[in-house]
Parts: sequence; C-alpha cells; structure tokens
Amino acid sequence: MSSPVGNEDSVVIDVERLTKSFGSTVALRDAALRVERGEIVVLLGLSGSGKSTLLRHLDGLETPTAGSVRVLGQEVPRLTGRRLRALRSRIGFVFQQFELVPSLTVLENVLTGALAELRGPRLGLWSYPRRLKLTALGHLDRVGLLDRAYQRADTLSGGQQQRVAIARALMQDPEILLADEPVASLDPESSEQVMALIREIAMDAGLTVVCSLHQVDLALSWGDRIVGLRHGEVVLDTPAEGLSKVEVMEIYGRVATATAELEAIERELVDELGAADAAAPERSAAPAPLVAAGENRAG
Amino acid sequence: MSTLVAPSRRPAEASDARSVAERAPKRGRSPERIAASLTLVAIVVASIIALADSGISIPHMIESWGNAERFFARVGPISFPEPAQLLYLTALTIGLVLCGTLLAAVISVPVAYLAASNTTPGGGLQAFGRFVTVLTRAIPDVVLAMVFVLMFSLGSLPGILAIGIHSIGMISKLFADAIEQIDEGPRRAIRAAGGSTWQEFTSGILPQVLPSWVATVLHRNDINLRGSVVLGYVGVVGLGMEMSFAFKSLNYSLGLGIALVMFALCIVMEIVSSIVRSAMLGVAPTGRSLGARLARRVGRASAGRGAQRLETSRPGLETPPSSAPRPAGTSLEAALRRPWDAVRIRNTAWGWAALAVVVGSVLICDIQWGDLITFWAKVPAIAVQFWPPDFGNYDAATMFGAMGQTIGIALAATLLALVVSVFVGSLAARNVAPNGTTRTSMRLLLVVIRGIPEVILAIVLIVITGLGAQAGTLALAFGGIGLAGKLIADSFEEVKAGPERALRATGASRAQVYASATVPQGTRALIGHSFYLLDTNIRAATILGIVGGGGIGYYLLNAGQGSNYQVVTAIVLMILATVLVVESLAMWMRRVFR
Repeated sequence: MSSPVGNEDSVVIDVERLTKSFGSTVALRDAALRVERGEIVVLLGLSGSGKSTLLRHLDGLETPTAGSVRVLGQEVPRLTGRRLRALRSRIGFVFQQFELVPSLTVLENVLTGALAELRGPRLGLWSYPRRLKLTALGHLDRVGLLDRAYQRADTLSGGQQQRVAIARALMQDPEILLADEPVASLDPESSEQVMALIREIAMDAGLTVVCSLHQVDLALSWGDRIVGLRHGEVVLDTPAEGLSKVEVMEIYGRVATATAELEAIERELVDELGAADAAAPERSAAPAPLVAAGENRAG
Repeated sequence: MSTLVAPSRRPAEASDARSVAERAPKRGRSPERIAASLTLVAIVVASIIALADSGISIPHMIESWGNAERFFARVGPISFPEPAQLLYLTALTIGLVLCGTLLAAVISVPVAYLAASNTTPGGGLQAFGRFVTVLTRAIPDVVLAMVFVLMFSLGSLPGILAIGIHSIGMISKLFADAIEQIDEGPRRAIRAAGGSTWQEFTSGILPQVLPSWVATVLHRNDINLRGSVVLGYVGVVGLGMEMSFAFKSLNYSLGLGIALVMFALCIVMEIVSSIVRSAMLGVAPTGRSLGARLARRVGRASAGRGAQRLETSRPGLETPPSSAPRPAGTSLEAALRRPWDAVRIRNTAWGWAALAVVVGSVLICDIQWGDLITFWAKVPAIAVQFWPPDFGNYDAATMFGAMGQTIGIALAATLLALVVSVFVGSLAARNVAPNGTTRTSMRLLLVVIRGIPEVILAIVLIVITGLGAQAGTLALAFGGIGLAGKLIADSFEEVKAGPERALRATGASRAQVYASATVPQGTRALIGHSFYLLDTNIRAATILGIVGGGGIGYYLLNAGQGSNYQVVTAIVLMILATVLVVESLAMWMRRVFR
C-alpha cells in the first residue's frame, strides 16, 4: 500500500478524477474531493447533481466508471468482501429516508450498527451481547430517545427516526460520518435539531463529516467548507466562512441581487430539474436558458 | 432546450377542419393482447360447454333432494367414535398437519432466498429455487403420501412428509414474492454499516417479511387440514383414515359423524388462524379494514403525544437532545431491562403458546425418527416399480378422456364459483355494500363456506347423488365461492377511494359508482383471482376423483391400490403437464392484462 499522498494521516478522503455513468447519463464527471481529518464538509447542489452518487462511492456502495476513491488510506473500488465490510464499519452513513427496519424495536435498530463487529446473523435483542446493548442505550440517551428504546421504530416521528439512525451510525464508532440529505424529509424544526445534533456529535468525537444538502442557508450556517456540485462536476470548493449566498448561487450559473429573487430562482431551479430529469442527458452542455431568464430578471 | 418554459398545452388550432373524432388518436392494441383476449374467450366458452356437460340441472337437483331425504332416513342418527378415541384422533390430525406445515415453513426459507431475485446468489441457483417451487406445488400431496406410505409402512411420517414437501411450493413462492417487495433501504443501511450478506438478510429483510411469512404458513395450515381428509384415503393416520374406513364398511352414520367433526375443526382452525394473523399484522396498517383503521388512529394519537413530549422536554434548539449528561451508568443499567408493557406480555404469551403447540404436535405424532434413516434402503427397490410410466390395462383414450373430464370439472366449477362470488364478494366489500348488516352477513357467509372442506362436501354429495362429475363440480364450485368471494371483496375494498368519491360528487348512483369506479379498478385483480381459482381447482379436481368425484383421480387411486405404480407415474405426469400449462397461462394473462 504505497501511497503517493504524503500526509496520509491527515487526509482521510481523497477522490480524484471520479467519473460515473449510468448508461448514457453521466452522474459524476472528473469529480475531485480532498477532506482532512475532523473537517465538516457540505456537498451542495440540486438533487440530481451527483451528491448522493459521490457519497455512495465513498462507502463502496457504487463502483466508479473511472478515477480513484481513497478513503482512510484504502482504494475503495479495489476492496471486496470482508475488507470492504471492515472499511464500511469505520464509516457511518445517515440516509435521507432514515432506513430503519420498521418492525424492529428502536434499540435493535441501533444495535444493527454493530453487526460488522459481530460474526453471523442476528435476530432479536437476546442475540446481542449485554455490553453492546449498554453502548446502544448510551447512544440512544445521547440522541435523547432513551425512553423509546423498546418501541417499534415505525411508531416514531420522522425527526425521531433520523435521530435513531444517527445513534445506529454512532454504534459503529465511526471515523467518518457520511450523511445524504439527512433532513430533506423533515419539517424545519426537526431539521434544525437533527443538524445541530450531527454537528455537536462530530465536534465531540472529532468525526470527519461529509453531508449533502440542497438548502443554501442551512449549508452556509452549518458547514466548515462548501463543495458545490452541478451536473456531476465540482464547481465550487471553498471555506464556508465569509461566503455569501450570492457567491454560492453562482454555482448554479445565476447572477441575482435580492434575496427574494434568489428564492424565486431557487424554486425555479427545482422545477427545472424535475422537467430536465426526463430530458436529454447532455443538458449540462447547455445551461444557457437559465442565464437568459436570470438576465431578464436582473435587467 | 426549452426546459425553462413550462410546456404549456397549445390550444387546438381553429384552422383544423377535421372533427374531434377524426383527430382523436386511435386506440392501440398489441397483438399479444388480442391473443390473450381470444384465449380468455376460449377458456370461458370451454367452461360453459363443460358446465352444460356436467349434468347439473335444477330438476336433477330437486330429484336428488328426494334421494337425500331417503338417504338420511336410512342412515339413522349420526354417530361418533368413543370420546377418548375421538379426542386422540383430533389431536393426531391437527398435530400431523402442523408438523407437515412447519416442515415446509422451515424448508421454504432457503428455497425462497434462492428464488427471490433480490437475494439469490446467482442465476443457476435461482433457477433451482424456482424449479423446486414449481415442482413441489405441482405434485399432489396424495401422490406423495401414496409413495411415502409404501416406504414407511404405518405411522405419521408419510403424512408429515407428504404435506411438508407439497407445501414447500406455495409457501416459498409467496415468501419469495414478499422478499421481492421489501423496502431495500434498511438493507442498504446495514450494508453501509459493514454487515455481511447474511446479516443483511436476517436484520434487514427477515424482520420486514416475517409477518407475511407467518400469515402464509397459517393459511397453508388451513388448506392442509382440509386436505388431510383425502390423505386418509391413501393410508395416512388420523380422522381422514377413520372416515374412509367407515365409508368403506358402509357405516354411513359414523362416517358422516367424523365428517361433521372435521368440518367443525376446519372452522375452528380458520378462526384461530385469523385471530393470530390479525394479532401479528395489526400494527402495520394495510388497507381499509377495521384493524388497519384502528391502528392508524392509535398511531396518530401516539405520534401527537410524542411530539408534545418533545416540545415540553426541550424548550429550545439551544439544548439539543443530549445536553444534560446523565449520572454515570445507573439509568442505562435500568434501561437494559425491557419493561413488561402490554406489547411485550402479549408477544411473550404468543411465543410460549406457539412453542407449546409445536412441541405438543411433535409429541402426539410419535414420530419414528429411526425410519428417516432406514427408509433410504427401500428407495431403489420402490423407485424401480414406478418407472417407466405406462398406462397398463387402460388404453390411452380412456386416460386422456378422464384427464379431460378433470379439466372440465375444474373449468365448470370455476365459472360457477366466479358468477356467484362476484355477487357475494361485492356485497361483502365495505365500499360496495349498501349497509353494514349486508356486509357483515356476507362476510360471515364467506367464512362459513370457506370453513367447509370441499372434500367433505364432495363426499356427502357423492353419498347423496352417487358417483360422478356432478358432485365434484358442485363441491368445487361451492368451495370456490368461499375463496374467490373473499379475494374479490378484499380487492374491491383496496381500490382507491378517490375516484369513487369523485363519481359520487357528480351525482352518480351507488350502482353507477360501483360499475364505473370500483369494478374498473378491481378488474386486474379479478382476472388474477380467476386464474388462481382455476389453478387451485385443477389441483383439487384430481384429488376429488379419489373420493369418487369423477375424473382422473379415480384411476390414480385404483392404480395405487392395485400396486400398478407405473400407471401412477403416467397419471402424475399428465397432471404435472396440465398444472404447468395452466400455471404458465395464468402467468401470461397476468402479465398481459397488467
């Protein structure tokens, strides 16, 4: 494992020239990302811009079409079987749809985060060692849901379920936490709770976090560093501090002046995306109509 | 690249001189759909001919009513076995059926794992899984029992193995379907956490499909209990065998008594399993049933309470969930003990009860485990007797004619059952029934009909009207009403309520809403149910022949009892071919009329 990267200790994620295509659609094009230990990075972009695909590559859930993905000093696409699982167990993953098993208790859902350190299949609380159960209860306490430990997961609200999912990720005692639109399915209040919780936990444990978001305001106030993606390409990579919303909006190829206008554009972009999903794959080649519309407004 | 401008519909240009009818696009029809429609029509026509052929007529029925009166007068009072013996036989029958079903339930897990497209390790293994599913379902349990009775002499093992092996097909098919329909998310989460393939299955998939697996197993257990009567005719111990002895020695009063016990047993089992099913599935709302609505209401109430608690305990976002550190450890230790709330008490009670039933079943069956090792020695000698297939003393025309009669019985019975069950099933659907009383009484009627085992009904009808296709057809049709009626009622209740509301809002009458909103949404399910019924009836029709209901089953029993095992093989191959043809026809129809 001789690596050309010198400071291997501090760089935990190193993605170079990553390209991924699904059939004729290109999801990622020559994407690059370097994250140092303890950084809190936000991937910003509209849905469909490649954020999820990039995150899934970091955990070996996708295989790249071309390029290199190094995580924790290992080339992820080359790993298989037990070694891939060992790497995954060091990376926590929080999903947009929480992905808890609805019919299991909250506690057992948290315990599934420890499956990698156990051998063989498990079903039922009795099949987990007492030590792990105590740890899991501790994590549930951390996310404020200790009193729900023995309820079925599907009896919880969305925000609570996402907190259980965070506890499940903590169960892995991860070095890296990946979060894919963790609050996109939540109401604003639960969203802020969940984001605050992730940030707090990351600071306490010195976790490296890569979190994808599509809300610009939230990203600016939450992340240390913003990485903008558009049509599968990294178009922005800068510290969040001092960054203005206008600058961020430029990653969408837009120029605007007033906040209300920005919001209108944001809405439009989301609409456009819905229509463009069905449209031609080479839409990235011609983002011109957007600019035209923006000029009309600005003028 | 006009993506930004919403594709607003262009108004029709006034200059277009053609009429609306001319400009409207022609309705597309694929050749496959036409072929499928023609096949459907052909099947319906064949069913009508079969029905006309079966000799069912009103005058004939009135005539046989007289027969029945005379018959019952001659039989005298119905009698039962000694209470102690009756109790033992009942327990033995239930235990044997349960053991068989459980055997199938256990084997079906790996089979379904191989057969389901999202868990199978590879193409070859998937094909193997599907092959096992189709084959075990196609071989009638009676044939298996016949073979196993030869190998194990007496005891409960032949019955357990016959039921067990035959049931693998249905349970693993439905289980594989359930696996294919799971939410992949939780499974992906476990993969992302570093779980192995095995752990993905047990922690991510199994908990999701467990309720449907239990429901399928219970359903199959009901079917097997009914089928156990016929197994008695080929030498499987239990109530069925006693009944067949009684009828063979012309002791009709005892035979009818045992039939009555069996009937009561089936109804009780049906009720018990529906209680267990709703207890298992009650939490997950599935449709518009009473249980589902209750569960939703409870869910809303508790969600509301949860939100409230969240607010009161957490005044602001400045105090995120965990900010107050807990005094070291103690409360976590306390939390390790799961509280004995109502849910846990109920689950534990169910668990122990289930375990007790299983252990009891195994004990009462008094399984000769040694046989499982010694019987292999007999296999080659017996296998030789079954090969090559041969019609023996019968000529091919007779045999194909008998197979044709079996198919005819199934077709006629399916047609009769469907006509009645569309009517009864519709009235049993909440959204169609004019009032609650109608719905409840129709549902009750369907439960009672389902409780009556077709075989028992056929036996009674045969006793009354004599041997032949008529009794078989009527018995199958009657049983089919119970099955199809329930399926149709459920499907109609599951259609989207929106279109019905919309039509009612336009002022449509109840019948119009039914015809224009309910039925069209339920048609696909209706076609599916019809083929399911035909499929079931073909299998059942062969078995009814064994008790004298006409068709190929009679020859099967004769060949078995006369030790003409090559004939048995030939007949089984014919049945296999027929079942496979019907099954692939059904699959094709379901695909085309999707």
